[in-house]
Amino acid sequence: MYTLLSGFYRYMCQRDQYFVLILGLDNAGKTTFLEQTKTKFNKNYQGMNLAKITSTVGLNIGKIDVGSSRLNFWDLGGQEELQSLWDKYYVESHAVIYIVDSSDRERVEESKEAFEKVVMNDNLVGVPLMLLANKQDLEGCLKVTEVKTIFNDPLQTMGQRESWVQGVSALRGDGVQEGIDWLVEAIKRNSSARPPQQKEIT
Amino acid sequence: MGGLLSYFSGLFGSKERRILILGLDGAGKTTILYRLQVGEVVTTIPTIGFNVETVTYKNLKFQVWDLGGQTSIRPYWRCYYSNTDAIIYVVDSMDRDRIGISKQELVSMLEEDELKKAVLVVLANKQDIEGSMSALEVANALGLSALKTRKYQIFKTSAIKGEGLDEAMEWLSNTLLQAK
Repeated sequence: MYTLLSGFYRYMCQRDQYFVLILGLDNAGKTTFLEQTKTKFNKNYQGMNLAKITSTVGLNIGKIDVGSSRLNFWDLGGQEELQSLWDKYYVESHAVIYIVDSSDRERVEESKEAFEKVVMNDNLVGVPLMLLANKQDLEGCLKVTEVKTIFNDPLQTMGQRESWVQGVSALRGDGVQEGIDWLVEAIKRNSSARPPQQKEIT
Repeated sequence: MGGLLSYFSGLFGSKERRILILGLDGAGKTTILYRLQVGEVVTTIPTIGFNVETVTYKNLKFQVWDLGGQTSIRPYWRCYYSNTDAIIYVVDSMDRDRIGISKQELVSMLEEDELKKAVLVVLANKQDIEGSMSALEVANALGLSALKTRKYQIFKTSAIKGEGLDEAMEWLSNTLLQAK
């Protein structure tokens, strides 16, 4: 009886907590993606006006519940100076979302270099990684396959980990659902290496 | 129950958001408050006690409290914590000697339960002076990367010149509109 009750209590009040880091250069669309995700997964959530999002110098947070899992997002500023703050979050992250601005051909090389630093970091070994080719709604942007080709080198050499490349439009919300669905499954598959935090939801 | 009450109070017009301006003495808190309210630089003396003003920004009303920052009166900050929607934490970007103390005050303040849901805006003030700390330096000196459950944003400001404050208020009103 106790087991039944405590099991029920856990079912109702506890969630597996995971932490997901959202990275990428400034103006890649990280905060827009986070807001779009929050809007899609939380009923009654009144999202920020996406047109009013300015560049982040700091941290945005967000949480969504998918089944019995709770994802907590950390969205960090992407300006070059601020990239040195990224690694402070690596140890506690269960997954990384890296966002590329597919319409910005000039900075795609810079984005790739920042990406290489992320995937080579020792504190992120084995952590699932999702590469998002954002701004697919814009004309003349790099196609998902093109982004894949450009990021092929680091994707090949980054060692054993699950990865996924997805085309999205954070502004319109295209591809967000698919991406998060993959991410949740990948985090769960990796949960023996990076176990979730059990926490009561408040 | 509290949630229910706040839901109903939300139905009746826009409520004033409560904001605290905190930071060490001489950081520029009072200058910022009156910059926001009247748009001018006023002559200030060290605040013993507090100043409170209503600031309207794009249809949002803020009740802004500027509390004195001297060592002896910092313990009284906590009397003002309840129902605070946002904290504007002002740092003198030239004062490298006391940034450590500023960090301690910030850390112990953010541990308070009453401020658990408050949004944090850090103003790296006095950017008009050459050689002042950058946003990254301030973030590192304040240990902001230890914050994992709070939304925060840093702005470089110069209260004297009036730079950066508009961006900060714009961000704040956007954020607070969405949080309710």
